[in-house]
Amino acid sequence: MVEDYGNTAAVNGADARRFALKLMAEPLELSWHHCGVTSDFFGEYFSRACDGSVDAVDARHSISYMINEILENAIKFRKGGNIDITGSLEDGTFELLIRNRIDAGTAESFKAHLAQLLEREPGELLLERIEENALNPDSTGSGLGILTLMSDYEAKLGWSFASEHVSEGVELTTYASLRLS
Amino acid sequence: MEISTNDYRVWTEGSTIHYEGTMRLSGTDAYAPILEAMNSILAAKPELITLDLTSLQFLNSSGINLLAKFTIEIRKQPEVGVRVLGSKSIPWQSKSLRNLQRLHPALELTIS
Repeated sequence: MVEDYGNTAAVNGADARRFALKLMAEPLELSWHHCGVTSDFFGEYFSRACDGSVDAVDARHSISYMINEILENAIKFRKGGNIDITGSLEDGTFELLIRNRIDAGTAESFKAHLAQLLEREPGELLLERIEENALNPDSTGSGLGILTLMSDYEAKLGWSFASEHVSEGVELTTYASLRLS
Repeated sequence: MEISTNDYRVWTEGSTIHYEGTMRLSGTDAYAPILEAMNSILAAKPELITLDLTSLQFLNSSGINLLAKFTIEIRKQPEVGVRVLGSKSIPWQSKSLRNLQRLHPALELTIS
């Protein structure tokens, strides 16, 4: 069974410039380092592929921030296995697909979180979440990654949860796209 | 006070806190020593606290949460003013720093 939330339709077509990378399961600290390096690499690679109408500094940063935030989540919540990252660029739209495995419990709580999040205006929700975090000194995660992407970067995001044909847990594919300007 | 790694440096001069480099720490716990240093400036109740971000090239969302949390702490003390300095050449600052002003309208934000 596949359950989709948000925007999961591919934007870029077969002619898009594409680059893919696989991150193996490594200790957390090393994975965290790979996350930063990977984000910066994709930002650099795709911003140089943009035509002159796009602000390359802004494109490099926005692509890097988007990958960093989604990949941080993939690394934090993955249940072993590789993380597949594919970026593509066509007509000024950068599109990202990140696929990793999570356990069933994490999938259920994430789905509930997404269902709530997608009903609201992201800017409002971002401020609410910040206020909640400030009141709760024990919260370890900020939960701001997705919200800043939607609110500050106007990124379109989607999530697909697949539990069939997966030997263990749930396969999560995160889709994200950004209109570069 | 100074906290320094290969990737970033945070240091204070009077009631100004400077940030430099790339901060992608893994979460609230990892940012705790930095928040502690920031809170120690606030504890002295200066008239004005300046956050100088003009050399902070990258900050992940957990780091944005750190700045937001500190802004809320300052907001609780109306006698303490706060000024945030950013740079137009660093894209995340124009995109995300306005959220601090939405949290605390008296915060003075200069992105130049």
